[in-house]
Amino acid sequence: MSLQKVKPRNARTKRILEKRDPQIHENPKTTLFLKGTSCSSLASLVLTDLHSLKRPQAIKFTKKNAIHPFDDASSLEFFSAKNDAALLLFGNSSKKRPHSITLARMFDHALLDMLELLVVPDTLRTLAQFKTRKPAVGLRPLLAFSGAAFESPVASPYTLARSLFIDLLRGEEAAGKVDVAGLQYLVHISTAEAGSDAGEMPPIHFRVYLLSTKRAGGKVPRVEVEEMGPRIDFRVGRTRVAEPDMMKEALKTPKGLEARAKKNVETDLMGDKVGRIHMGKQDLGKMQTRKMKGLKRGREEFEGEDAATMVGDTGDGIDGDEEDGGVPVGKKERVA
Amino acid sequence: MTETKQANGTTEVEIEAHMNGDAMEMDQVATAIDAVADDNTGRPSVNVNKPTPYTFDLGNLLAFDPNPLPHNIDEDVLASTARDCAQVLINQLLTTCPIQSTSEGVLLDLPAPSTPIPREKPVPKAKEPTKWELFAAKKGIKDKKRDTKMVFDEEKQDWVPKWGYKGKNKDMDEQWLVEVDEKKEAETGVAHDARKEGRAERKERMKRQDRRERANEKRGAKKV
Repeated sequence: MSLQKVKPRNARTKRILEKRDPQIHENPKTTLFLKGTSCSSLASLVLTDLHSLKRPQAIKFTKKNAIHPFDDASSLEFFSAKNDAALLLFGNSSKKRPHSITLARMFDHALLDMLELLVVPDTLRTLAQFKTRKPAVGLRPLLAFSGAAFESPVASPYTLARSLFIDLLRGEEAAGKVDVAGLQYLVHISTAEAGSDAGEMPPIHFRVYLLSTKRAGGKVPRVEVEEMGPRIDFRVGRTRVAEPDMMKEALKTPKGLEARAKKNVETDLMGDKVGRIHMGKQDLGKMQTRKMKGLKRGREEFEGEDAATMVGDTGDGIDGDEEDGGVPVGKKERVA
Repeated sequence: MTETKQANGTTEVEIEAHMNGDAMEMDQVATAIDAVADDNTGRPSVNVNKPTPYTFDLGNLLAFDPNPLPHNIDEDVLASTARDCAQVLINQLLTTCPIQSTSEGVLLDLPAPSTPIPREKPVPKAKEPTKWELFAAKKGIKDKKRDTKMVFDEEKQDWVPKWGYKGKNKDMDEQWLVEVDEKKEAETGVAHDARKEGRAERKERMKRQDRRERANEKRGAKKV
């Protein structure tokens, strides 16, 4: 389901619509936060905290929406298209699935994949409950995943969670540069090993830590962490994996995005960068030699006139010079 | 090799053994120093030792720690795991990424992200060529590069735009006196006005161009 294509009526709208068109270098994904009809206060606290971590690339809706993402995702797709949001966080609560947060990802405003996470009420601590300094808005977090479940080669809710959390938290990657002073906090997502019970799904622990560094003598500092909040434990709920075709399309990288190999720049055995440059042919006739008073052009011309008069007077000296072999006029003058 | 050994007799073997022993002692000393550093916090340790090595995706500032966590985790274990991750990630960032010091601060050049993350929208498609572009390619017609829109107006002794506001192509419209083409008047039977004619021609051309553009758009949409 996609919205009707709007024809821009003025230049401003045209620019806005052009920004929404597919781009080679994509803008960071906008995240939309919205609630269901029976969103518990706990789930909304989680949404609020994740929203404040996600700012400024986030939109938060306050009204309730009668959406059941796993039954019918068309409303989510509509909101995604309307707000140009590729990630949606939907909070809802029911008897069967209390305090659920659904993380949905869109591709071209159509649902790609979805993961339901159920907040564990006992361990939840909000951002405000930790009385610490908070990092500035829009800083990129460091990300860390602990637990083998996140990198298992078999697709599982944990690998999906990993992909979705990276997408949600990675921030603006376009620059390719990061300020060292901006590395202020770490989002740590971990899961324990499954117990002896085969069907058991261990919860996902979402923790955010402030980093502080101490000098340790070398180039690298010693890092210490202090919990900043929110502290959320999620149980894994329903999932919807992406259709292979759609995922393949979404993972395509545009041609020409990779940097061209630089010509004539090599690294030698010692690890030094060596560049080769090509120069035009050197014209030695125009070369600047040492400047001397005697070689000044102005005087030469001046003397040239004198010489001419002298040539008129005495012819023999010049003949001798010519026999020497094509000596330039200037030299001749100097002789004279 | 064997010859030299024979020549030197047992001494070389002894020396080797001695050296090995020394090296072992040195190792022990080194670890001892490390431990001391940890305990006395004279120089806090920046090393993290885990059985399975970490993997990184520095483009996303991401570290992945595959070491299993105990089944019943408490906050202290989580915090220490997180600290180790942060330490390792920062070590990796500071040692492998080129560092630039600028007036805006110390910047790290990150490599391209290695974790495949789906795009938000499909890769943009190349624009469908217009009918003219197809024709030009077939005939080998190249674009004439026009560097400027301005032309010199001899009458005004000034540079004026070729078209657009106060454009040169509107010269006829503003003439205060124009010749009547009697032949044309006789043909059509209507009073001939060269000013109106020029304008009408221009408008007609614009309309035709619009129509062509729309047709090209339609053709492009059909192919996709």
